[in-house]
Amino acid sequence: MSGDGAPVDEIAPPAPDPGRMGSERLNRLRHQMRAQGVDGAVLMHGPHVTYATGHVPEAVDAGHANHRRAVAIVSASDGPARLHAHDPSGVEAGPPLWPELDDGAARVGEAIADVLGDVTGRRVAVDGMTGAMARAGVLDGAGLVGASRVLVPARVVKTEDELACIDQSQRHTERAMEAAQAACVPGSSRAEVAGAFLAALRDGDPESGLSHRNGTAAASAAYQNGIDPIFQPMPTRRDGGARTATGHVAFPTGVDNPVYAEGDLVWVDAGVGYHGYMSDFGRTWVVGRAPTAAEQSLFDRWMAVLDASLAVVRPGATLGDVGRAARSVELHDTPWLPHFYLAHGVGLESAEMPMIGTDLGPAFDDAYELEPGMVLVFEPVTWTDGVGGYRAEEIVAVTDDGWRLLGGAHHYEPFRQ
Amino acid sequence: MSGDLVLARRDRVLDAMASAGIDVLVLGRQDNAGYACGMRRLWTAGTRPFGAGCIVVVSTQRVHALSSWEAGIESPMTFDDLYPLTWNPRIMAASMAGVDGLAGAGRIGVDELTPSFRRAAAGFAPEAEIVAADDLMVEVRVHKMPGEVEAISRACAAAWAGVDAALAAPTSADPAGAAIKAMAALGVTVPSSGVKVERRGQELCIDVGVICDLYEGGVGGCFADDRRVGTPALAEACVVGASHADLATAATGDWLVRGLGMGFERPVIGPGVGTGERLEAGMVLSVTDGHRRDVVHVTADGPAVLSQRP
Repeated sequence: MSGDGAPVDEIAPPAPDPGRMGSERLNRLRHQMRAQGVDGAVLMHGPHVTYATGHVPEAVDAGHANHRRAVAIVSASDGPARLHAHDPSGVEAGPPLWPELDDGAARVGEAIADVLGDVTGRRVAVDGMTGAMARAGVLDGAGLVGASRVLVPARVVKTEDELACIDQSQRHTERAMEAAQAACVPGSSRAEVAGAFLAALRDGDPESGLSHRNGTAAASAAYQNGIDPIFQPMPTRRDGGARTATGHVAFPTGVDNPVYAEGDLVWVDAGVGYHGYMSDFGRTWVVGRAPTAAEQSLFDRWMAVLDASLAVVRPGATLGDVGRAARSVELHDTPWLPHFYLAHGVGLESAEMPMIGTDLGPAFDDAYELEPGMVLVFEPVTWTDGVGGYRAEEIVAVTDDGWRLLGGAHHYEPFRQ
Repeated sequence: MSGDLVLARRDRVLDAMASAGIDVLVLGRQDNAGYACGMRRLWTAGTRPFGAGCIVVVSTQRVHALSSWEAGIESPMTFDDLYPLTWNPRIMAASMAGVDGLAGAGRIGVDELTPSFRRAAAGFAPEAEIVAADDLMVEVRVHKMPGEVEAISRACAAAWAGVDAALAAPTSADPAGAAIKAMAALGVTVPSSGVKVERRGQELCIDVGVICDLYEGGVGGCFADDRRVGTPALAEACVVGASHADLATAATGDWLVRGLGMGFERPVIGPGVGTGERLEAGMVLSVTDGHRRDVVHVTADGPAVLSQRP
């Protein structure tokens, strides 16, 4: 990769300061609430709770997460954010609430009243309301607004500590991927490769290693896996796989357990949380052999798209500028998947604003300017029907005068840089 | 997964909608959508913002799902029943408007209420009353069909493969990593609650919760010399009609009895919660008493433990 990125391997990655990160996040959230005339926020979506309180919910299935959900209540004026959690992960918390249950909803209302007082006629941001809360009349009389209106603008520019979390998470993911790539051989299955990755995530995790040795609970691993990791063997023709509505290939499907054959092009995608901040690892692997010349050419084109995109990333550039730069080196084809994007943000969620090249359209992209502290995960795709496609991901943070790479500049093997 | 089971679940949902006077269900919860549509999707951890993941329409007897491709869909749904992934709320609203039977709906049930869905619905179904239907799905799901009980039993067997691998791991190795790899060898990589391992003196305490083909399985306990310690008293107390007090009396440690099927479900009975619940035949429960956890099917003939060691 060219550009003004420093040789990151030689720099010790900065460690986040969780206390400072928490207070800066809460200030940013309150700033947005006041600017938009929002008096209070009742937050039940995990990443929103983390942003407001620092509590990182366990990375469990959605059904579990919904029932054992943490609740954060934030007043726009002052005081700490109130957290109620079943498993408070070291953060001070009130007793757990059960907002999914009819016999738990009234307690949610009491907690809200305790923090926000009478909400009648006041504007309260919510990210969802359970049926039980609605039946119990929780927040009746308040003017409800979607919480994303305050949280999206608060979250889009990251603090130095948030960037450090993404960087650490990406490096840890990259280390665990070495085990996965070694396991991705002819005759192995998707799940076996995933198992090698998930087990390797625990190696070198200071918390899970500690728990293994000392006998404390292992649930508090510092690194939490966020998605069923994707190791999807791709068709070589656009119409060679599952039928799609896009005219391009289906990815990531996240279903089935294929067994790899020599020569499969495997698209890899995984995300792991550190203090809740997600990594986003993407590479293309070739099973059991070196890339052909045609496959190497896909990679070379991919790198050209990335270089062209990064060359225009700086404060004040629009998303449209970056998208046009990417297209300028791939004249016959949009170099990303039509249902996704050239690039997306990452933070407490795997895909956040800003997003470049989505179906929000060119007017959206042209009106959106990059700022220092924004994060972009580039995931171009270059494709030649009959050969297949190359897809990988790189994360950069926008700096005062350009960009810098997050993560450890992981190799592209078996492709030649 | 058996197509018959997907159809049977869909029919249950449609029947419940007709009884409740709900014309259209818009389901955002992954477990509800999976129940109604049978669609398998990429697993991600944690809560999700509400989005229209699945739409069930009484007038057409059809189910629709949010997807840009046919991978993961089950009969009776076809490619034509899908509406594509989009980042654009206007495109989403247009897709919704194109679902037969939605525009003229009188009552639309949702499993979570959000300000943005109400605003969008005013556009694509202007006459519709938006009502909470999370309770409708809870009641449909609470009593398991035989095919569901079989699926849960298979998931429990996978969880045991993880437990056995953790127990067999040499003391120098990470037992949780061994459990993860053993289950992956069976094709199982999606956690419900995940793998938790704790050494307590000579005992290894393990809890494994996984999802296979949309259904959850799990088991937990402290093991000494490969044998699970503790008493199954709480599991044995899971009989038809058992009350909160009955279960609290049987419990010997920190306890929780909660529904298990496509995740964490009704009933939820534990300290300070579920005091009005009574166990019913057909429920499947995750029964935790201290470190011990079993999955129990409540039947007219008494509790049937689905998490028997294979």
